[in-house]
Amino acid sequence: MSEYRKRTSALRALAMGSLVALTAAFATSGAALAQTMGGTVTVVHNSNPPSLDAMATSSGQSRNVNMNVYETLYGFDENIVPMPILAEGVDISPDGLKYTFTLRKGVKFHNGDVMKASDVKASMERYRKVGATGNLLNAVESFEIVDDYTIIFHMKAKTPTFLESFSSPRAPAVIIPEEDFAAEAGKTSLVGTGPYKITEYVPDSHVTLEKFADYTQDTRYSGPDGFGGKKTAYFDKAIFRVIVEPGAQVAALEAGEVDILDVMPPSAARRLEGSKDIEVQENKLWAFSTFILNANDGLTSNVKFREAVQVALNMEEVVGIATEGLFTLNGGWVYPGTTYDAGDIGAADYYNKHDVEKAKALLKEAGYNNEPFSLLTDNSIPVHNKTAVVIAEQLKAVGINVVINQVDWPSALNLRMQDTGWNGWTLSMGIEPYLGPAAITATLAGTRPHFVKPDPVLEELYKELTAGETVEARKATFAKIQKQLYTYFGIIKLGDIGLLQATRSNIEGFKTFRFPRVYDIWRQ
Amino acid sequence: MFVARRLLSAIPVLAVVSVITFLLMWLIPGDISAELGGTEATPEILERIREQFGLNKPILERAAQWYGALFQGDLGHSYLLNRSVADAVFERLPVTLSLAALGLVLASVFGVLLGILAAVRHNSWVDQSSMVGALIGLSIPDFWFGLVLIIVFGVLLGWLPTGGYVPITEDFLGWVRSMTLPALTLAFTQMGVIARMTRSSMLDVLDQDFIRTARAKGMSAYTVVFKHALRNALVPIVTVMGLTAGVLLSGAVVIESVFSLPGVGRLIVGSIQRRDFPIIQGGLLVTACVFVFVNLVVDILYGWLDPRVRNER
Repeated sequence: MSEYRKRTSALRALAMGSLVALTAAFATSGAALAQTMGGTVTVVHNSNPPSLDAMATSSGQSRNVNMNVYETLYGFDENIVPMPILAEGVDISPDGLKYTFTLRKGVKFHNGDVMKASDVKASMERYRKVGATGNLLNAVESFEIVDDYTIIFHMKAKTPTFLESFSSPRAPAVIIPEEDFAAEAGKTSLVGTGPYKITEYVPDSHVTLEKFADYTQDTRYSGPDGFGGKKTAYFDKAIFRVIVEPGAQVAALEAGEVDILDVMPPSAARRLEGSKDIEVQENKLWAFSTFILNANDGLTSNVKFREAVQVALNMEEVVGIATEGLFTLNGGWVYPGTTYDAGDIGAADYYNKHDVEKAKALLKEAGYNNEPFSLLTDNSIPVHNKTAVVIAEQLKAVGINVVINQVDWPSALNLRMQDTGWNGWTLSMGIEPYLGPAAITATLAGTRPHFVKPDPVLEELYKELTAGETVEARKATFAKIQKQLYTYFGIIKLGDIGLLQATRSNIEGFKTFRFPRVYDIWRQ
Repeated sequence: MFVARRLLSAIPVLAVVSVITFLLMWLIPGDISAELGGTEATPEILERIREQFGLNKPILERAAQWYGALFQGDLGHSYLLNRSVADAVFERLPVTLSLAALGLVLASVFGVLLGILAAVRHNSWVDQSSMVGALIGLSIPDFWFGLVLIIVFGVLLGWLPTGGYVPITEDFLGWVRSMTLPALTLAFTQMGVIARMTRSSMLDVLDQDFIRTARAKGMSAYTVVFKHALRNALVPIVTVMGLTAGVLLSGAVVIESVFSLPGVGRLIVGSIQRRDFPIIQGGLLVTACVFVFVNLVVDILYGWLDPRVRNER
């Protein structure tokens, strides 16, 4: 090596050394300084949000984007308890017929206007018309504006669970400007009050959000909490990219082109275990895996037959295979350890029994004679069809002639709304278990429960639940509901299923939740 | 005159396509109310959504509305995208067309060269290995090959993006980078078809007297192969290319999903999954127009390549 080359090599080595040292020093100070402002974060989800009009859809993809853009008067905190967000608070009259909401002052919309009671009234009236769950306002008779920052909800009757329902993020009752009152579903100006505003939507490609510079932080809190709290937008821009193919999603994360995967396939998570570039988080309480039986159609109209299906199933095998191991066995109809947890009431005798002999005896008692059992499932949500395949094998083992009818998701939703023509339907319930007992029971009560034919006992218990004055009273009612579900056998609880989410390791502050919060996260 | 006649004959084709798509929309179970209402929607909410989008009207009334608008050049309005069908389809058409065109160019250039090489070196190792290569291309599923390319060039080497689309008007180099892997994937699977057809057609022509005469006259191998043999072998090759163009347009649906390209294929598939009927009907009609146009171009090329075909008409 020539002298010159040696010298330049040595200089280069010295320069590199200094660079490494400097980088290390800055990295340390960066860690100490913590949050970094600016930049862009890219989140991946697997399909288009069907609408960016938050009220009009209960789609999870829409919620992922919209809950960073819009806010509600009340929403759930981290422990699923209603907390004020755009409201200062609420005063409920002793007779429960008047809810007086006071609003936070100075909260700005993305268009620069200040939120007032007239906007709230217009939003609520629009929600009644176009809200995907507009019926949650059925309990309200009228809305009365008292002044710019006070609005009264006059109730038709006392509804102790109203605030919980009203806080639901399923198709949230967001506050939008009064000017959007008359907008048809999906045709608003996309203006909200959240820390980010929508600036671009290219279907099948991406939604771009930009930091709302005039965002009015809720300084009553020290940081984000559930759907509310003090929210801080660190990134200037958040892009929600649509990548359909799971393999391509993971490749984009590995290549560093995107920062957060909304859903990480378990196989990829196992492969990337120990990676220094990628962190995987598990949300264990993501959904309930269920199997719904049509109590109105032929075979399954017989309660003994439905009981036979319940005792025949090996839930561990069904959910274990369907989720690739991402599950918890739980026969209860709320998550363990939560307020309304009724333990194994009802479940003790029926959950995960896999009792072939008892199932055969019950089938005999039901007079079953090898008639076809039509099992409806879809190919759009992989957990559903995997669940169906395992259930079919287990039911065949006890002598039930199962025929799987696999269609796409909209077809499945349409077919299950028909009173006959199907016996079983696989469904993951995501948001209902999160919302709690009233939301779960609501899908099993009313004129058209999931299992088609209403159960009068359950109907009465649902009324008792929503009218329960105290949490203790409602807890007691819910225990009776759980017991009744193991008597009627219209719906079978298979297990609790989890969700994996992944981020690049340099994304700080991200915590798995019901939607990817792009506020209060930053790049290290 | 020939072109005008061909264009006129496309009208009944498009009419049939429109009727079939309209009837299919009516026959398939499910509609937009499922997407917007979700699993917990009550029958009343579903009915309200249907009413909002006019889905509870009788089929004939809906058909009359749709055709009435169509004759005025209006393809309708998307239920979900908050824009007209024409806007939604035409802003995505360049993505799909450029992907299919790039795929066709790559498949044609490499397919024809491979086929010529195999024919000229008939029964040699070159012939056999070219055909094995072509067979591999034909046999590999395109979505799998696409994922392999993503892992190699996007993740391991980091040379090209793993997906996404950059419009040519924004950044030419970015467009080339975003289209390289999808076009290669599309081309690889179709290259085999063109290579095999070229080989077989060239073998037929290379055996004929006029080629022997050309060689006897002392013409160079290049002139014999490319000027005399290839020109005469091109008609069946162009036929295959025409068919390939159709396959590439429909195959683009899968590639668009793997590489996250916002093309017409993904638009239609996504709309089918969500039952956004106006987009499905309008998108399929526009796609049918593109197919008709491609066939027309192939027919015109026949005439240009082979005067006998032209004179017959």
